[in-house]
Amino acid sequence: MATRTSTAASDTLPRPAYVLGGNRIPFARAGGRYAQASNQDMLTAALDGLVARFGLQGETIGEVAAGAVLKHSRDFNLTREAVLGSALAPTTPAYDVQQACATGLETVVSLSNKIRLGQLESAVAGGVDTTSDAPIAVSDRLRRVLLDLSHAKTPQRRLKALARLRPKDLAPATPRTSEPRTHLSMGEHQALTTAQWGITREAQDELALRSHQRLAAAYDAGFFDDLVTPYRGLTRDANLRADSSLEKLAALRPTFGLGLDAPATMTAGNSTPLTDGASTVLLGSADWAAAHDLTPLAAVVDAEAGAVDFVHGVDGLLMAPVFAVPRLLARHGLRLEDLDYVEIHEAFASTVLTTLAAWGSDEFGRERLGLDGAFGTVDPARLNVHGSSLAAGHPFAATGGRIVATIAKELHTRRAAQVAAGDESPVRALVSICAAGGLGLTALLEAA
Amino acid sequence: MTRGAPDALVALPRVPGLGGLYARRLVASARRRGGGGGGGGGGGGGGWTLPEVTYAVDDVRADVDHLTAYQHLLGEPATDALPAGFVHVLAFPVATAVMVRDDFPLPLLGVVHLANRVEQRRPLLLGDRLGVRAWARDLRPHRSGTQVDLVTEVAADGDVAWRGVSTYLAKGVRLPDGRDDGGAERAAFTPPVRTGRWELPADTGRRYAAVSGDRNPIHLSPLTARAFGFPRAIAHGMFTASRALADVGAARGDAFAWDVEFAAPVLLPATPDVRVARDGDGHAFAVWHARSGKPHLTGTVTPLTA
Repeated sequence: MATRTSTAASDTLPRPAYVLGGNRIPFARAGGRYAQASNQDMLTAALDGLVARFGLQGETIGEVAAGAVLKHSRDFNLTREAVLGSALAPTTPAYDVQQACATGLETVVSLSNKIRLGQLESAVAGGVDTTSDAPIAVSDRLRRVLLDLSHAKTPQRRLKALARLRPKDLAPATPRTSEPRTHLSMGEHQALTTAQWGITREAQDELALRSHQRLAAAYDAGFFDDLVTPYRGLTRDANLRADSSLEKLAALRPTFGLGLDAPATMTAGNSTPLTDGASTVLLGSADWAAAHDLTPLAAVVDAEAGAVDFVHGVDGLLMAPVFAVPRLLARHGLRLEDLDYVEIHEAFASTVLTTLAAWGSDEFGRERLGLDGAFGTVDPARLNVHGSSLAAGHPFAATGGRIVATIAKELHTRRAAQVAAGDESPVRALVSICAAGGLGLTALLEAA
Repeated sequence: MTRGAPDALVALPRVPGLGGLYARRLVASARRRGGGGGGGGGGGGGGWTLPEVTYAVDDVRADVDHLTAYQHLLGEPATDALPAGFVHVLAFPVATAVMVRDDFPLPLLGVVHLANRVEQRRPLLLGDRLGVRAWARDLRPHRSGTQVDLVTEVAADGDVAWRGVSTYLAKGVRLPDGRDDGGAERAAFTPPVRTGRWELPADTGRRYAAVSGDRNPIHLSPLTARAFGFPRAIAHGMFTASRALADVGAARGDAFAWDVEFAAPVLLPATPDVRVARDGDGHAFAVWHARSGKPHLTGTVTPLTA
């Protein structure tokens, strides 16, 4: 390896990248308050709320990255268009990211890395999704005919292209949530994993109820006052059921896993509904934060992505984080029990529970994770402390930003209280998000 | 190479069209029926022996648009390597030409595709000049009729790269020395845990007919299928086998054996459950009716070692 000339910059790099704050709009149920709002509308609203909160009007931010899972083809530059429509300076660069449900967290990870490398001083990460204003495409055959028609140079060839059309080709193709290679929906996939690990209906309903209770308590305590900006008349997440109960949840009929040998346990109550919404996270270096009189909340320390072969039934569709987290923590010499907070995205209550079951299994730890025994356990008091997707809803690409901003604020609050009590020990959080395609993205945050 | 192929070579100028072959066979069987005599359906002009000929077509080439249409329909990545099922589509009409000969002892229409084995010894590529050889072998009794193997070999640069053995059953046709083959009933099938599901719309047969050239009426529409005793159109067996191969994906490697046994036909439209999973050093697959649990096909894809 060639000897590198040391420069002032490389002596101090990589440097920490900090979460400085966040802003999102309340999440709406599909077909609800945001039924007429587009992805660009919602992302711009979330971005403008962030700008207003942190006094960034007219400011050029290093880079803005965001994305949407369900995206119109006209939205090829969704994030740049949202920036141009926002109060940020039009000289703010932007790019789109798409990694299914991990999109939002991936924007946080990649922008943090740019800050750590000194390429950026400031950045905004984000994500948005709407299932109410989802793109509807023409059928493959109609699209083929229309494309051939546009390439045809003679009237005869145009007629020939048109002659291939059949009435059923005119039926639109709506976006689907099923996996392209297995044709099973995410719920049907998770039902297989739920049965494999023997997760009970009661455990799922309890986790769902706790999510609603904790999110409601956080709203009541004003925790989200500086994280959420009302939009279109919505001030709290529309899916939140503060008055839910185990009895109400137990009364719901199972919707997934109906054809399996094991009893069906997954209901609309312990599964996340389709949701509309957007979130943003403000990131920056220590210098940029100081220059803007902002307090770093937490450092984005590291991240690890994973993937599983669900196509051939080796692992469950949503189990990739089970493998990524042990790798992430091993890099830092940490155990699961060393974490003060664990945020596991609640795609389904049973996704969280199968993840914990795998980590708690001696056999799985030895045979699949290559450990001496079980990876570890998570105290429920540290898990999804302010509720998660079951209560808030899950606008796919917006979930990462919601979780990161929420837990960064919590980390900072806890650390401040600890320091005031004379305890200087680090306060850490794990963020784990499963995604379509057998993907998973996990990140480690530490209180600043 | 070309082990077991009869020496007598019938060279065809090009791969024949399946439609013309079917029509020819229809006319032939009508003529034979008109002639009276030999009851029991079998024993064409040549009696109860297989024609001792090898059909040959040289310089066969894949067409790029045809290949792309096949890959898109089957869910294969659109690479320049020819999927093993696509080679079957290119080459099998040569074997069909053997089956429509007047001296072929079994009827073509109404035979049931029982099983198929393909050995893909090395990849064949778009642009390769392919030599196809096909012959019939091993006419033998089956518990419900008579079965025969159609062997097809495809070579590039003189080396056989692909070898297919398609086993067909003529139901109710009994050989003169009509003993049973003693073959046991298939083992009972218990549906495993599914890894996925196929969504096969009503036009699945027409779409595969368009890329395979196999326009057997039992695949095309409920009306034409009913004329042959099926309540609805049925999916082509090789379509379902090739879908399973596509589901195994790149893990199959460059050289593999692809074995499939067909059970109950897939009545269209259909959403059968499937399992495609690692099994030993290869993969096993099964496709079954989601409600009844009855198998449509089972098989394996295993690596071939040189």
